Amino acid sequence: MIMPVMVIIIGIFILGLIMGLLQSLGYFKAVGLTEITLNYYREVLRSKDFISSLGFSLYISIISSLIAVVLGVLLAYCIVESQGKGRLADIIFMIPISIPHVVAVIMVYNTLSQSGILPRLLYAVGFLEDPSYFPSLIYDRKGMGIIITYLWKEIPFVAMVVYTVLDNINERLTDVALNLGANRRQVFLHVILPLILPSIFSAFIIIFAFSFGAYEVPFLLGPTSPKTLPVKAYVEYINPDFKNRPYAMVINMIVTFISIILVWMYFKAFKWISKYTGDFNE
Amino acid sequence: MNRNRSIIFKIIAYSAALLLLVPILIIIVWSFANNWPWPLVFPREFGIRGWEYFFSPTSNSISTLIYSILLSLTVTFITLLITIPASKALALYDFKGKKLVEILILAPLIVSPVAVAMGIHQLFIKLRLANTFLGVVLVHLIPCIPYSVRILKNVFETVGDKFQMQGKVLGANPLKNFIYVTLPIISPGIISAASLVFTVSFSQYFLTFLIGGGKIITYPMIMFPFVQSGDRMIASVYSIVFIAASLICLRSMDRLLRKYYKRGDYFYI
Repeated sequence: MIMPVMVIIIGIFILGLIMGLLQSLGYFKAVGLTEITLNYYREVLRSKDFISSLGFSLYISIISSLIAVVLGVLLAYCIVESQGKGRLADIIFMIPISIPHVVAVIMVYNTLSQSGILPRLLYAVGFLEDPSYFPSLIYDRKGMGIIITYLWKEIPFVAMVVYTVLDNINERLTDVALNLGANRRQVFLHVILPLILPSIFSAFIIIFAFSFGAYEVPFLLGPTSPKTLPVKAYVEYINPDFKNRPYAMVINMIVTFISIILVWMYFKAFKWISKYTGDFNE
Repeated sequence: MNRNRSIIFKIIAYSAALLLLVPILIIIVWSFANNWPWPLVFPREFGIRGWEYFFSPTSNSISTLIYSILLSLTVTFITLLITIPASKALALYDFKGKKLVEILILAPLIVSPVAVAMGIHQLFIKLRLANTFLGVVLVHLIPCIPYSVRILKNVFETVGDKFQMQGKVLGANPLKNFIYVTLPIISPGIISAASLVFTVSFSQYFLTFLIGGGKIITYPMIMFPFVQSGDRMIASVYSIVFIAASLICLRSMDRLLRKYYKRGDYFYI
């Protein structure tokens, strides 16, 4: 019963990664490279350009995922507390999920670029004397446009994941804690948070890995330099000299490796947490 | 006191919804703005130039849109076809290497699709799958499978297999049992899996772009140049059509499946 899925997963996904790995090690028969070597890794890891791309990619993914998780949890909590279920929750969860990143990019561009709606409004009320005084949030080296686009998509995603768990938490648990003299903050930190922590973690992993390996948003809104790793990998990939391919694959393998490490840390963290708080992940 | 708290939470939740809706309103206005110079807050001149371009046969927008929808429907159908049995096996049966299978199926959520696509590209060229409809469909399956399995596995875990046992005892063969017992019971799960898979495939850019090699053109691909060149009006028109098209597709898929399976109560949950 699992055969058809596994044929696709192994035949495309795993095989794709293996072929990428081989090419990153310098084995690319089609162009006559047959010697296995770590030289490409050495060269890439030594290049300044790569290091700044790696830093830029990590920075964008860490910042956007952390903010998305914090705000997403708070948003989910607000939705549950406001008892505004049904339509409101539907709007908040469904809109960003069904809108692709390309469209989200246009929205951010129309609203926040120097000729977007926000600087116009600020100018109209007299806060801004000239469009150039508005910070450039698009194509900027701080990656603000990229981060904002991800936040727009990811905060509701985190909220949705956490909301499902929050909504199912037995109200008696919080009532008991309140009855025993805990204040609202303590209830949230000591009763609710431990219960939703596993889903917070997995939401973080998913959005981090997605933004770390994605091409579209940084390609459209990012600065020419530094580029994020997937954009850089593609630039290396389309080099007409096929002998350049291993460099692209090295970058891909490093991106993959970091994501896998992250998942491994996730399982470790999970074990560590359940050791200290008892097994709440039932 | 409690009332006040609730109002504050309501305000926050509604402003979040507003923050999500306002950008959509802005692109709707922008799609009708023939002339909207800085620093005007409202367009100087409204018009339908962008929409005229979209509907003109030279832009190929409509045919690309239809092609794109068909491609994503194909991906959705194949994904469901292969993930329904796999999800059932993962939810209800024990077998050797189950943990590994689960990890492999969920792995595409974590591993960059850029890395996978570039790795498999050479092989796809050799097998003549690159630049073909089939090749693009195959590569789209990768990001879609984990989402579908996550949803369907959950559903199978909740419903168990007691109803299928009943069917078996009552003499239904496996095929009949599947069509008349299993499918109706899991239909809510199928609807949500289908919607999500369709959305993932319909929004896909990089995989199509690399494996399709410019021969297979989907809707997000014809949008890209306008976004890149900063042509706000046309980009806004394309965005609105994108949102509308995916809403219409999701709605009709939902209707169709519901209608098909709405023959009473299926003791779901």
